[in-house]
Amino acid sequence: MTRFSKFNVSAIIIGFTFLYLPIILLILFSFNESRLVTVWAGFSTKWYVELMQNQGIKDAAWVTFKVAFISSSVATFLGTIAGLVMTRFGKFRGRTLFSGMIYAPMVMPEVILGLSTLLTFITLAIDRGVLTVTLAHITFSMCYVSVIIQSRMSSYDDSINEAALDLGCTPFRTFLLITFPIILPAVVSGWLLSFTMSLDDLVIASFTSGPGSTTLPMKIYSMVRLGVTPEINAVSTILVGLVTAGVITASLIGKRQRQQLAQS
Amino acid sequence: MTETTTTEPWLDSNQKPYIQIENVTKKFGDFTAIDNLSLNIYKNEFFSLLGPSGCGKTTLLRMLAGFERFTEGRVLVDGEDISEIPPHLRPINMMFQSYALFPHMTVEKNIAFGLKQDKLPDNIINQRVEEMLELVELTDFAKRKPGQLSGGQSQRVALARSLAKQPKLLLLDEPLGALDKRLREQTQFELMDIQEKLEVTFVIVTHDQEEAMTVSSRIGVMDSGKLIQVATPTQIYEAPINREVADFIGDVNIFKGIYKGQDETGTQLLSEDSKSIIYATQKVDVPVGNRIWFALRPEKLEITRKLPEVDFNILKGKIEDIGYGGSFSTYHVKLENGRQLTAIRANRERTAEHHLTWGDEVYLHWAPHSAVVLLS
Repeated sequence: MTRFSKFNVSAIIIGFTFLYLPIILLILFSFNESRLVTVWAGFSTKWYVELMQNQGIKDAAWVTFKVAFISSSVATFLGTIAGLVMTRFGKFRGRTLFSGMIYAPMVMPEVILGLSTLLTFITLAIDRGVLTVTLAHITFSMCYVSVIIQSRMSSYDDSINEAALDLGCTPFRTFLLITFPIILPAVVSGWLLSFTMSLDDLVIASFTSGPGSTTLPMKIYSMVRLGVTPEINAVSTILVGLVTAGVITASLIGKRQRQQLAQS
Repeated sequence: MTETTTTEPWLDSNQKPYIQIENVTKKFGDFTAIDNLSLNIYKNEFFSLLGPSGCGKTTLLRMLAGFERFTEGRVLVDGEDISEIPPHLRPINMMFQSYALFPHMTVEKNIAFGLKQDKLPDNIINQRVEEMLELVELTDFAKRKPGQLSGGQSQRVALARSLAKQPKLLLLDEPLGALDKRLREQTQFELMDIQEKLEVTFVIVTHDQEEAMTVSSRIGVMDSGKLIQVATPTQIYEAPINREVADFIGDVNIFKGIYKGQDETGTQLLSEDSKSIIYATQKVDVPVGNRIWFALRPEKLEITRKLPEVDFNILKGKIEDIGYGGSFSTYHVKLENGRQLTAIRANRERTAEHHLTWGDEVYLHWAPHSAVVLLS
């Protein structure tokens, strides 16, 4: 019955406060009547209404969603293939190198990653814009997808595929009918993770974006430099909501998958 | 073909083997998993590949299924060379050790999967699935997913799925390994019934020698990629060809010694376990003075407190340990030279009067025809 000891309770309170107080304040003040961010003057949704009329923010939001959707889809496709190769093809020449290269973007400082992609685009004379931001996002989110797929495949029973082959299914159809449906939850959670990471990326986007491809985090950052307004709080609240929803869905899918595995 | 030939087709030279494994070798790098192995299996046989783990039995089975390509040799099924045919085109199905059920499909869909790949019409598929569900008594579970089944049920689904396509040959990789003992024994008989009813040739891989003895028409004992002995369960048990087989199948007492020739009682062995010569009926064809071995199954050693009224094959010892097994008891008897032997005696008496107990001085005796003479 030590579970609710004073120490445990206070540890939880301090921990959660430390983590979430800033976010809670931000959400709270996005519903503030007053323009002053630090003075509470009653509940209002007027900043959300105002937000809807701000063309700059709406444009940035559209760019962000476009980039997030396309980059997470492509990253999921590539990351899934990479994950499958790493787990299904056994040993091949250059496997260690390939594995290292998949993980590299995870451990590389974002600034370096942003700078190096920027240099690449300059060298290749690709005009910076939505395309370059998307490409850069694919690069770093793909490795997360491949890690998720790899961890799913490590508990995948290869004899399931062999059973399908044995029953007369061609290797390609086996992938479509058996492997893919079984790992689908992992693919979906990989997509959600890449989507949210693309949504909240600031560093890499600022390196690789050009005129007309300002993303929401960049827009917010530039607005903050002119002073924090409740409007920023409102847009940030929406962003927080989206990211939270994405992460929770991804982890629920993962949890359900683990339960299914435990059952079978 | 007459009725009499079908029970032991391997003895009839006119019978054509159904599966011919010819000089097959499989190497993984430097490691030889299967070493120039040849084997004939006949139609409707229930053939067991038995051996310790790593002996190559699973590799051999996977080669028949087409999941491993062999380095040399060829395999014929019904006269047709299948060596180059990929797994999904072979008329062979396999039941996997892990069952490998498709977790996202219902029991019904799992069983129908193979039939769907053959693009059979729906009504035939449904009919066949129903038959299979009936065969394994799982009709009520048709709509369940594999995650909602017990081990025994999963095993039966896996069996039904592999039989649904009516394969010429069914390969079973440790099919009962994941079941508990009671269920395993029950399922062994079910497997035999199904095999007889459907007239499919079964090749089963197992490390459980009791299982192999119960279900098989013949057993192939494997070690280090080679077949050591291929024979019926009785032959394997009662007439193993060497100490390795004798030791792997069941318990055995082995007497090492020098061959001293034949007399009217039988083959004479001078062993350090006995002061006098010991005998076995079986004759051998080696020079006198060669090293040979006698193998004796524990149940063939008679254990008594009274000195038996014969003048040979008697060993004196002391009971070290007793394992009470209900219908029988296992006795560990220590000989005067320190060697420990195992004897099994059926518990025919309920009362304790005739019971032997720890520390009892006992005599072990066997009839000369109970001993097997081994040359290696």
